Amino acid sequence: MTAQYSIVTPEIVARLEEICGKNFVIFRDEERLEPYSHDEIPGKHYRHMPEVVVRPQSTEEVSAILKLANAEHIAVTPRGAGSGLSGGAVPVYGGIVIATDRMNKILELDKENMMVVVQPGVIANDINEFLRPHGLLYAGYPMSMETCYIGGNVAENAGGGKAVKYGVTARYVLGLEVVLPNGEILEVGGKLLKDVTGYNLLPLFTGSEGTLGFFTKIILKVIPRPKYQFDLLVLFKDSRSAINAVPATMTESGITPTSIEYMDAASFQSACRYLNETLPYQEAGAMLLVSVDGNDPEQMMDELEVLGGFLEKHGAFMVYVADNPANSERIWKIRRSVAESFSLYFARQSGEDVVVPPACIADVVEEFQRLAERYGVIIPCYGHAGDGNLHSRVSAPDSWSDERWEQTLPLVLQELYELVAKRGGRISGEHGIGCKRLKYMPSVVSKTFLDVLRSIKKALDPNNIMNPGKVFES
Amino acid sequence: MMKIALLIKQVPDTRTVRMDEKTGTVVRDGNEAIVNPLDLYALKAALDLKAAQPGTTVTAISMGPPNAEKALKEALALGADDALLICDRAAAGSDTKATATILTAALNASGPFDLVLTGERATDGDTGQVGPEIAAAAGFGLITFANSVTATAGGIEVERKTENEVERWKVELPALVSVTKAVGEVGLPTLKGKMVARRRVVPVKNTTELGLAPGNIGLEGSPTRVVRIFRPSITRNGIKLQIFDEASLESAVDVLASFVKGEEKA
Repeated sequence: MTAQYSIVTPEIVARLEEICGKNFVIFRDEERLEPYSHDEIPGKHYRHMPEVVVRPQSTEEVSAILKLANAEHIAVTPRGAGSGLSGGAVPVYGGIVIATDRMNKILELDKENMMVVVQPGVIANDINEFLRPHGLLYAGYPMSMETCYIGGNVAENAGGGKAVKYGVTARYVLGLEVVLPNGEILEVGGKLLKDVTGYNLLPLFTGSEGTLGFFTKIILKVIPRPKYQFDLLVLFKDSRSAINAVPATMTESGITPTSIEYMDAASFQSACRYLNETLPYQEAGAMLLVSVDGNDPEQMMDELEVLGGFLEKHGAFMVYVADNPANSERIWKIRRSVAESFSLYFARQSGEDVVVPPACIADVVEEFQRLAERYGVIIPCYGHAGDGNLHSRVSAPDSWSDERWEQTLPLVLQELYELVAKRGGRISGEHGIGCKRLKYMPSVVSKTFLDVLRSIKKALDPNNIMNPGKVFES
Repeated sequence: MMKIALLIKQVPDTRTVRMDEKTGTVVRDGNEAIVNPLDLYALKAALDLKAAQPGTTVTAISMGPPNAEKALKEALALGADDALLICDRAAAGSDTKATATILTAALNASGPFDLVLTGERATDGDTGQVGPEIAAAAGFGLITFANSVTATAGGIEVERKTENEVERWKVELPALVSVTKAVGEVGLPTLKGKMVARRRVVPVKNTTELGLAPGNIGLEGSPTRVVRIFRPSITRNGIKLQIFDEASLESAVDVLASFVKGEEKA
């Protein structure tokens, strides 16, 4: 991290206060600045204090802040809810953190066009609670929907448990108002379902991890909300048969589930223990959670029967059904609690987010286990098996010293990422590169790819003030 | 080997239920009905007794509208052997006594049963009266709030926890037992169970078939009258202090300071 930035002086702070109002600038107040120094990566590694935090309320305020920062060459880090898992919102060069929490309005529901216009600081779940009475759904939301902000979702191109059927955030982003690093305001896309007027910049900004601009307005596509969701909790003796059943289900069952989630033995045992779950899971070596949604319960039960029968043919020894919200919550809670329960049982861990072609998940999981054995670590795997996105948590045994863990983790990650790259995969499916995986980028993507990213970055942010120290070394 | 009857009720899902502020009644439109969660503990107790004593049968009985069949099919999917739905418009408006009259008749019609199991109460009416009233009407022994039920040679043994002690009762049959959460959670239905239950036809009986006179059931047979249902008002009268500038901050501090001194009655 060699980039040099100007420091935030009291004079700069005074100008920020002029822009946003005194009450919405935090400076020289360690206690109030601390929450802006990290995201949800456990541990102390990916933390850095900002020099100042500003909480603007309008596009004009954001534009004025960026103009100032660009002119004074101060690093700027946009921040949503801080629920990220890649260090994307960590101000690694200090400087200014621009928080989106006050830009939290749902601006418009355009029912005729089936679109909703929101500011970046709206909680993803609040969009759906707002849409519910209208029978509509924003389907791109991730698993952390109850806390994460839509602006962060767009910045990371977040995915979620329903991506198998509904895709990820980008599928629903139709338009963006972006404040560029020089403070200029750019409109990209709009209330359009088709648009080939010039380069398609929407997918470039979506997933740019806050390095190309600051989103101040987001137009999202909404769809009719399915009335019901039914789920199957499917138990297998071992992980290979469970994972092999996933691509087979997708390609041969004739049904597109909304989710296919995978949990290996360590994952569900940890979550079930944490939840005091009494289901007889002891004989299982792996679980799949398969969901369907729709408006006709009879037809959905038909689909569950077909899916369940199919999974039994592929080695499932027990299939449980949840066709009401209480039971559905009971089994989804197991999946949602995996990460939390691991944090409780393993003090030192690194949450990974690799994505591989769905058909080779079984091989990758087995290779991870061999890697784990070689280094003496534990690598439980779970996640969105239906779309090839695995969350593996490289964890240290309790007996290890901190030093041993610090030395071993980079070696394990390097091999793990290389192994994924060899399979045609990538090191992050939905969490992003941020500052956490930045150093591994050169070993998993080509130089030409990185050069193209750098050229784009340079064209839009020549002074490199927008979220520096993220995605790739500039 | 016992013949067990399990009484279950469909209730509005308490997680999504809304109240009509004006009428004080539950808005049923758009709200999914679920099996009374407390009845699922009774199902768990019944299934455990069945597993411990081969030959024991469990019959799930419910009184309610036609879609209460769904609750009974859930019980069948989870392992109950038979089901019976009492469905009759004449039963609408029944209070706990009239409901107990109808369910006692249902037990007599499909029994005799050795043991009747119920949840401790339903989450909608919240009375916990129907079980004891059935026991009284049918002349059964009664144990409420049981933490465990086990079969013994001569009947059952029931444990219940009170404030100060654990009671252990030897109970002669026939008896009615209402159980608590301590019994344990019932599992999830399996696909096989669901498939079988889905294809079962749940027998339905009306009150005439049970030999009940209109004067003993429904509103006419209910000595209880609901005069008014209302939300209790919260008596705490708080004040909201909004701070947006120096002046409002100062006045807020003044208010809080006087409150601490006991001058302001908040």
